[in-house]
Amino acid sequence: MSFSSSRSVPRGLRILLLLTPALVVVAVFFVGGVSQAVAQSFGYQPFLPSSRWSADAYRSLWHDPAVRASLGLTIRVSVLSTFLAAIIGVAGALLIRRVGSRTWAHAMFQANLAVPHLVGALCMLLLLSQSGLLSRLSHATGLTSGPADFPELTQDRFGWGIIAEYVWKETAFIGVIALAALNRGVSELEDAARLLGAGAGQRFRHVTLPALLPSVSAASVLVMAFVAGSYEVPYLLGRPYPATLPVVALEYYRDVDLTARPQAMAVAVLITGVSVVLVAAYFTLTSRLVRREL
Amino acid sequence: MRRAFLGLLLAGLLLPLLPLLVWVVSGTWRYPDLLPSDLTTRGLNLLGDRRTPVLEGLLTSTVIGAAVSLVACLIGFPAGRALGLYRFRGRRVVQFLLLAPVIVPGLAVALGIQVFFVRLGLSDSVSGVVLVQLMPTVPYAATVFGAAFANLDVDYERQARTLGAGPVRTLLFVTVPLLRPAIVVAALLTFLISWSEYVMTLLIGGGQVKTLPLLLFAAIGSSDTTAAAALALLVVLPPLLLLMAAAPLLSGRSGAMVGVGRL
Amino acid sequence: MSHPRLTGPWLAAGVLAAAALMVTACTSQSSTTAGQRVDSGDWDSVLAQADGQTVNWYMYGGDDTLNGFIAGYVADRLAELGVTLNQVRVTDTADAVNKVLGEKQAGRSSGGSVDAIWINGENFATGVQADLWSCGWVRGLPNSRFVDFTRPAVNNDFGTPVKGCEAPWQEADSALVYDSDQLSESDVESVSSLLSWAAAHPGRFTYPALPDFTGSMAVRTILYDTVGGPDSLTDPFDEDAYTAAANRLWPRLNAIEHSLWRGGSTYPRSQAAVEKLYSDGEIDAFFTYGPGAVADQVKKGVYPDSTREAVLDGGNIGNVSFLAIPANAEHSAAALVLANILLDPETQLALYETEGIYPAIDLERTDKQTQQAFADAPRSLSVLPLSTLTQHTQPELGSDYVTRLEHDWKTNVLQQ
Repeated sequence: MSFSSSRSVPRGLRILLLLTPALVVVAVFFVGGVSQAVAQSFGYQPFLPSSRWSADAYRSLWHDPAVRASLGLTIRVSVLSTFLAAIIGVAGALLIRRVGSRTWAHAMFQANLAVPHLVGALCMLLLLSQSGLLSRLSHATGLTSGPADFPELTQDRFGWGIIAEYVWKETAFIGVIALAALNRGVSELEDAARLLGAGAGQRFRHVTLPALLPSVSAASVLVMAFVAGSYEVPYLLGRPYPATLPVVALEYYRDVDLTARPQAMAVAVLITGVSVVLVAAYFTLTSRLVRREL
Repeated sequence: MRRAFLGLLLAGLLLPLLPLLVWVVSGTWRYPDLLPSDLTTRGLNLLGDRRTPVLEGLLTSTVIGAAVSLVACLIGFPAGRALGLYRFRGRRVVQFLLLAPVIVPGLAVALGIQVFFVRLGLSDSVSGVVLVQLMPTVPYAATVFGAAFANLDVDYERQARTLGAGPVRTLLFVTVPLLRPAIVVAALLTFLISWSEYVMTLLIGGGQVKTLPLLLFAAIGSSDTTAAAALALLVVLPPLLLLMAAAPLLSGRSGAMVGVGRL
Repeated sequence: MSHPRLTGPWLAAGVLAAAALMVTACTSQSSTTAGQRVDSGDWDSVLAQADGQTVNWYMYGGDDTLNGFIAGYVADRLAELGVTLNQVRVTDTADAVNKVLGEKQAGRSSGGSVDAIWINGENFATGVQADLWSCGWVRGLPNSRFVDFTRPAVNNDFGTPVKGCEAPWQEADSALVYDSDQLSESDVESVSSLLSWAAAHPGRFTYPALPDFTGSMAVRTILYDTVGGPDSLTDPFDEDAYTAAANRLWPRLNAIEHSLWRGGSTYPRSQAAVEKLYSDGEIDAFFTYGPGAVADQVKKGVYPDSTREAVLDGGNIGNVSFLAIPANAEHSAAALVLANILLDPETQLALYETEGIYPAIDLERTDKQTQQAFADAPRSLSVLPLSTLTQHTQPELGSDYVTRLEHDWKTNVLQQ
């Protein structure tokens, strides 16, 4: 929409000016930062004259057992957390819609959303570790006789502790998104479908699910990318080996042996690559997202 | 039956916070006791003790959060206007560019630019941390404002202009009041993202910029759980209070919710 | 109305990114000069310079009792001289060294953000190799007269000659901390008896993953026990001697794995995590370099009252830790003042009383009153008397051995 104003700032220029500050931030930090990480992973060393370009970092990454195990763990944790959070979140949203008490539910969802992940990590440690509250409860009921009898849920090989924290937080996130999607006139469509003779299963498959799918899938992709790239929770709830990719990246970065720097950058580039694939998926999905949003 | 499931779900949303609250006042609470064997105010006293970095951390976190929130909104407001009001070629590309920092981990970017921050003297400084935290927050601000501007009825502005108001007056007295909910949401969101940020503050702040997440991270790894729980309480209260205060503005706006999950 | 051009925002982004990169990359490089020498000889001018400065002291932050002491006593002493203390806690000293290294690489040869580091061992050696430290200032400190510089532990840091590049601060002597309700005195007599107890009670003992400093010490303790002491591993680095010793060490460490916590499938990340396990009741014993701090933890209720300490026969391992000042430090005068205060017998006494840390100064060189105060200092039941702690102290290995051990532990034990 344009103004027919006496000011003759051309439309294109006006848009450019409005966008410039944001684009500067993105360009300098994001584009600059990522390209620096890529360059440094190939051996570029800023401020030092003796940079040797090589793909050594990537080659050693390929042979590094820590990185290979890390890639598997990272993907496993992010996919599982997202999957579980999506299922429980959507189920919760559908239940809330059915049963009512929407304001209560919203309040509780939002309270959960307000908790920072660091605090969530501490809560999970206190709850799930072998000397945590659940373990003590099972001792009190006679199920276990010592900390070591309780299953390993934190610092475990599979990553259950990490998954638990993310499922706890992201369920609320996806639940809120699902609720918002369900609030936009889906009930009327479902009623219409019922009047036309559609059964419950049919209504769900052909009315409810398509209404939910765009925003829930977009949110899920966001969650997956976020989990894959975060540091605090996998560090606190996971093992030293194998650790997730961001933890490995930071470990290599902090090595006093500066030849590990390119390797740290290469791991960072790897994480970025994984996330970029997810961004592409995100945009394919949001192009189907309902009108009035961006 | 359904009510039971729902009750379980809603309880699960907040119950894990319960052990935290008990640990805050625990003196000794060893396995396998279900309740602490003695209570103490040691944890809470630590929060007010000037010998610990907690008060400094609280101040630093608040200052950085406020600064990041302010700057991110100032940048996101015009960007949101461009995205929401205008249709132009390359709009999709700009949206992509603006949202990519949300997806690509900030860790990768911070690693890449860290050496430049050192060179420019921005490392170990609050201003450096504020600058780097713009990266994850500006996209959210732009998104929220973009959605708000898309819903804005431009006629109000047009009327003001035809009535003789200059562009600045129109902005201040027409546009901004109309967008007040979005401004609150964007400010809140960016503040909370900054409040919870750990890795970027660690990398760019170099340990000298002591924010609450930095202190909490160290405390969680230590053997003093009471102190860690007390600190966690301090970290979780402001987001809880702020988000609850803004709750009515957030319901149903999935564009805004996109940001909150990142906390 | 014309189409708005696509390239507008795109072009802006591209140009700005390129510009940003170029500006930062083409900033003129200042040469990486050798560090400025800090002249500690003229103490009055040092004090005058230091007045009003802030000293950024990077130190291991995992010991709460010590942190309290630093933030209290030391900060107050510094404030009397007009110096503000900024204690920057790091989880690993290597982070601080890394920071200085990074600054050097970025061309910051002055105005560095790190003024002083609590350091020893391979971290010091790394700094020596990279020429990071300011040297030649230690003898000029007024309180250096209390230090016995002829002691090997003082002028040799894990095999690297100190050469005046760092000032001694405290001594560490390792010990085993255990819950006397779970282990008897005969269990903690030697490494072998400890490991036998662990085999009979699997999952109740562990050590942190290397390269944690204490984890490294635990492995070296078992190494000393396996090969009969550090004598076969002399400086400079002897590959054959190392391989012979390591080949006996790895099988033993792998053999004890199922006696350890989690069956040895993983190790706690750090010493702080190990102490947390002990405090939570998941393990009953652990090694430590800071036996004196245990008293405070028992008092706070974090450790059980039945906590005791033992020195395994075959000896414990002792070392001296130091304060180093980077050559590019911004507030080197304030750092000198800090180093001097730390060497003050009053500070060493206060440190001993609070933390049970053995003084790095030579008590014979202090006055009778101070010596008496040291002897009279109260001691908790949970802490061993100094005489016991220092009776059989073995020296540390050279840092080359340590680094190699830490690296090989990962491949030979952790990743198995």
